[in-house]
Amino acid sequence: MAHVITSPCRNEKAAECTEVCPVDAIQPGDDQYYINPDRCIDCAACVPVCPVNAIFFDEDVPEEERDYIKKNELFFAV
Amino acid sequence: MNGELYDVTIVGGGPIGLFASFYGGMRQLKVKIIESLPQLGGQLAALYPEKYIYDVAGFPKVKAQDLVDHLKEQALYFKPAVVLGETVQEFERLDDGTFRLMTDKNIHYTKTILITAGIGSFQPRKLNLENAAVYEEKNLHYFVQNVNRFQGKKVCILGGGDSAVDWALTLESVASHVTLVHRRNKFRAHEASVEQLKNSRVEILTPYTITGLSGGEEIEAVTLEHTETKETINVELDELIVNYGFVSSLGPLKKWGLNLHKNSIVTNASMETNIEGIYAAGDIVHYEGKVKLIVTGFGDAATAISSIKAYVDPDARKQPQHSTSIFEKLTV
Ligand SMILES: Cc1cc2nc3c(=O)[nH]c(=O)nc-3n(C[C@H](O)[C@H](O)[C@H](O)COP(=O)(O)OP(=O)(O)OC[C@H]3O[C@@H](n4cnc5c(N)ncnc54)[C@H](O)[C@@H]3O)c2cc1C
Ligand code: SF4
Repeated sequence: MAHVITSPCRNEKAAECTEVCPVDAIQPGDDQYYINPDRCIDCAACVPVCPVNAIFFDEDVPEEERDYIKKNELFFAV
Repeated sequence: MNGELYDVTIVGGGPIGLFASFYGGMRQLKVKIIESLPQLGGQLAALYPEKYIYDVAGFPKVKAQDLVDHLKEQALYFKPAVVLGETVQEFERLDDGTFRLMTDKNIHYTKTILITAGIGSFQPRKLNLENAAVYEEKNLHYFVQNVNRFQGKKVCILGGGDSAVDWALTLESVASHVTLVHRRNKFRAHEASVEQLKNSRVEILTPYTITGLSGGEEIEAVTLEHTETKETINVELDELIVNYGFVSSLGPLKKWGLNLHKNSIVTNASMETNIEGIYAAGDIVHYEGKVKLIVTGFGDAATAISSIKAYVDPDARKQPQHSTSIFEKLTV
């Protein structure tokens, strides 16, 4: 389980979340930020600071955004 | 006290390490606790001191910092050795089966190790400027330890969360001038504090980022860049406080040869790790069915201490006597 960044982040990249994450789980990608699911401790600190409400707990990701769960995972897969 | 041999050394002064410290004292163990931050309380004190917690057994509602204060009072009852501001790095097993524990500053000796390192050792998020590190022992502060130091000084504070805003408000009446700098126009702090800030004498500079430090022995001024117009300004100062929050990492503990599951240490139901004499409890632990909560961590701690007691003193009973029957007979 982890938090996930979804489509509103694309091209927004406000980066507020990176300043509050206590485990530095949030990294920049080309078009959006991503959360490393192996590092995220589900503290939810990033959720309220996102200006475009792009961050959800994975079980709460809206139906049409569920692809982003995999997208976040894949970004960190080596 | 460094050369002395302890029965158990607890790595991490979060809620679970604090409770383990108390429980170890109650089982008449000689306890030392080592914490990387200059403060005890782990995530509760570092990340959410002002939040209310509702799921600690026996407390319908408790502020995180208040819970930490209660835990500290309980933990210190049996007078454990408390070591702050040291991060445990490595261990070595000596010929007699005891351990030598190395921190970034000292060496400690112990019969057993109880790891309650939570999500890892907290460090302040530092200024990302090349010459910042040299000023750390001078007038660049990541923690405010002694408010008197700022008496009559020009103080500049960087950050947009609760601690930056709270320190600005606290120092307003102590310092000659306080400037608060944040990258955004909106502060993340509590609304009431932000309101108070607007009505205070604190000079607010937003949206600015810091791009340079200048000075000789000490920092004399910082260069700030407006995030939109890119215009730069210089702010003179006597003291610089950086409140960018905390980051944690397991770091060196990962190389101890412990069985790991993702970022957690695998234990059995007695809280033993795969290395004899090393135990773990709290958020850092993984076992079948583990959930990461304060209350479950307290349970881990009591189990771990009971296992440690049996290891240190094989004649001791593993099932502890109840505190109600023994507490008043114990000597501190
Ligand atoms: C925003 C937020 C809200 C939460 N709300 C709740 C809630 O409502 N209920 C609940 O049950 N839980 C809650 N939690 C989780 C709870 O805070 C944790 O379960 C708890 O803090 C775990 O305690 P711990 O002692 O195991 O670890 P931590 O609190 O992480 O403490 C570990 C300590 O060990 C220190 N340390 C680590 N490595 C080293 C080292 N090598 N050397 C020296 N020191 C070291 C660290 O600096 C830290 O102080 C919340 C967490 C967050 C972030
Ligand atoms: S939920 Fe917490 S740990 Fe996870 S990404 Fe957000 S801020 Fe970081």
